[in-house]
Parts: sequence; C-alpha cells; structure tokens
Amino acid sequence: MLDRMCVHQQEAIDTAAAGRLPGGALAQHVSQCASCREALAVVGWMQQVAQEPVPAHTMPNPDVIWWKAQLLRRWEVERKVAAPIERMHKAEILTGAVGLVAFVVWQWSGLTRALSSVIPALAANWTVRAATGSQAAEPFSLGLILGSLFVGGMILAGVHRLLAD
Amino acid sequence: MAETSAAIGTATMSEHAVPSAPATLLTESEFQDLYRRHGRALWGYLYRITGNAADADDLLQDSYCRLLAVPLATRDDKQVRAYLFRIASNIAIDHWRRTGRTGRRQSAEPAGELAAPSAVSSHGGALDVRHDVSRTLREMKPQERVLLWMAHVEGNEHRDIAAALGVKAASVPVMLHRARRKLAGLLRKKGLGPGER
Repeated sequence: MLDRMCVHQQEAIDTAAAGRLPGGALAQHVSQCASCREALAVVGWMQQVAQEPVPAHTMPNPDVIWWKAQLLRRWEVERKVAAPIERMHKAEILTGAVGLVAFVVWQWSGLTRALSSVIPALAANWTVRAATGSQAAEPFSLGLILGSLFVGGMILAGVHRLLAD
Repeated sequence: MAETSAAIGTATMSEHAVPSAPATLLTESEFQDLYRRHGRALWGYLYRITGNAADADDLLQDSYCRLLAVPLATRDDKQVRAYLFRIASNIAIDHWRRTGRTGRRQSAEPAGELAAPSAVSSHGGALDVRHDVSRTLREMKPQERVLLWMAHVEGNEHRDIAAALGVKAASVPVMLHRARRKLAGLLRKKGLGPGER
C-alpha cells in the first residue's frame, strides 16, 4: 500500500541521504516495503539529477549584484524616511478638504452674499430679499475673510505640492 | 509575500545563530566570497527548477539582493547557504505566482538548453536516467520541484522547507510523500520507475 507513508520511510531516507545503505532490520524492511523502495529510488534520482552538469553559462557579474543591492537598500531607507512625509501629505489634503467643507457650512450666508454681489442675478434677488427685510444685509465678517485666506492658502499649497510632485 | 518570507527567513535564521552575535549586513568581500562558493550551485538549482537560463539569472540576482538586505546573525557557511537557497526558492515560487507561469511550458522546449531527449534512455546508464528524471521533474508543479530539491538534494530540514514554501512544517512530510509518489508515477509511465507491488 503506497498511499500511506510507511513509518520507516523517513529513517530509510535519512540513511540514504547520509550516503549509507540501509542495514539490518531496516534493509530487510525496505526489501519488503514498496513505499520505502520508491522513496529511496526518488532520493537516488534526485541526487543523480543534482549531478547533471548545467549548461555552460556566463554568471551574472557579482559587482553588478552588489551595487544593485546597495541601490535597493538605499531606496528602501529613503522610502522609510519619506514615509512620514507621504503620510503628512495625505493628511494635508484631508485637512484641506475637511477645512473647506467646514468653512462653507460655517460661512454659508456670508458666501452667498459675496457671490450675489458678483453675480447680477443673485444680486437682484439679494436686493429684493434685503428690501423685503427677509434677511438683514451684513458686512463681510472677519471669520469669512480669515477663512477665505486659510482655504486659499491650503489650495495654493496643495497645487504647489502637486506641481512639485 | 516576498517581505513576509524574508521575515520568516530571518526568524528561522536567528534560531540557528550564535545568541551573542549581533546581526550585521554582509560586507562586499563576504558577499564576493559567498558568491564564489555558492553562486554556481544556486544558479544550477534555479536553472533546473525554472528550465530557463534568463529566469535563473534574474532569480539569482534577486536572491543575493534579498540576502544582502537582511542582517545575518551568523556567517556559518552551511546555514547561510541553506538560507540563500530558501530565499531563492521563495522568490521562485513568488515569481511563478506573480506571473502565473508554471515553469513547465517554457522548460519543455528551451531551445537546446536542456538535456538530450529521452529517446537515448533506452540505452540505459546513469546519464540517461538523469536526463529522463530531469525532464520528468519539469513536468511537475514548481512547488513540488522545489520541495523535492530542497529535501533530497540540499537536505534542508522540514521547517526550512516550510518557511520557503509558506506552509506549515507538519504538512511538509505529507507533501513530500505525495511529490515522491507523483515523480515515481510519472517515471513508471515512462518505464523507469520501480514497480508497485
């Protein structure tokens, strides 16, 4: 029965691998066990294959391998050093996006007013609403100005980083 | 996969290492010496499992580059060689997984690089058996080739084979048994294997 590994097989393989022939009880077992004989035959074949000469071939230059390894190592070090900067870059973009959304929500009325002064249709609408007293006309707040500066700065920094990349 | 295997390799390596020895990278002269001693044997191994000289070149370079990137706690020649072969096996398997190639098709007809056709085996002799076994081996799965080579040529321990193949050490004896049975079965079909009784 070959489907199951014989309990003596590893011992027989180890003996063969050590360059010895199984002796005594093991030899007797091997002569009667097809599984062990097959395993020993495979070990023998593998060792014969290992002795088969490989074709004549120019080996890769060790100096090239050495410098390639140094280069790869240097890149790996650089990658590790740059990793926090890369993370910061992503954090900057995320912060900018969150800041922009927060700013728009916070200054929604001021922004609408600013836009309406630029776009005539909106301006007309704004004038009507102001005249009917539905919403009081207020000057631009300090928050709107500072927020605009902050978001504008973030956008400029982001564009600068993108162009630099 | 590659990084994982390197980590496994280092961990296993440290088990063999002298405890007090600090792990250091190989120097250029140590590398040159190592390359002189084991480069050709490693290339031969890679050539036999890939059946392709260009792939063997690439994998050899990658193996040494990986070795040079890992601090070694020992300079024991036997251990470093075993580790190098383990890295190479791992890279080869990773290469086959990544490219989806089995190494079988290109090794079947490698434009005069491989052994002579098996027709000569009818004349008998160790050389012909070698050729036939070599060719039959290339019909097997890459993992089986690596397994048989690491176990029966390099004489690696099961845990080292397991680390190279990314399997449990307990699975290695069973996998080896199946691989041996498969090789014997393929050879039997060609009239070479031992008869099953």
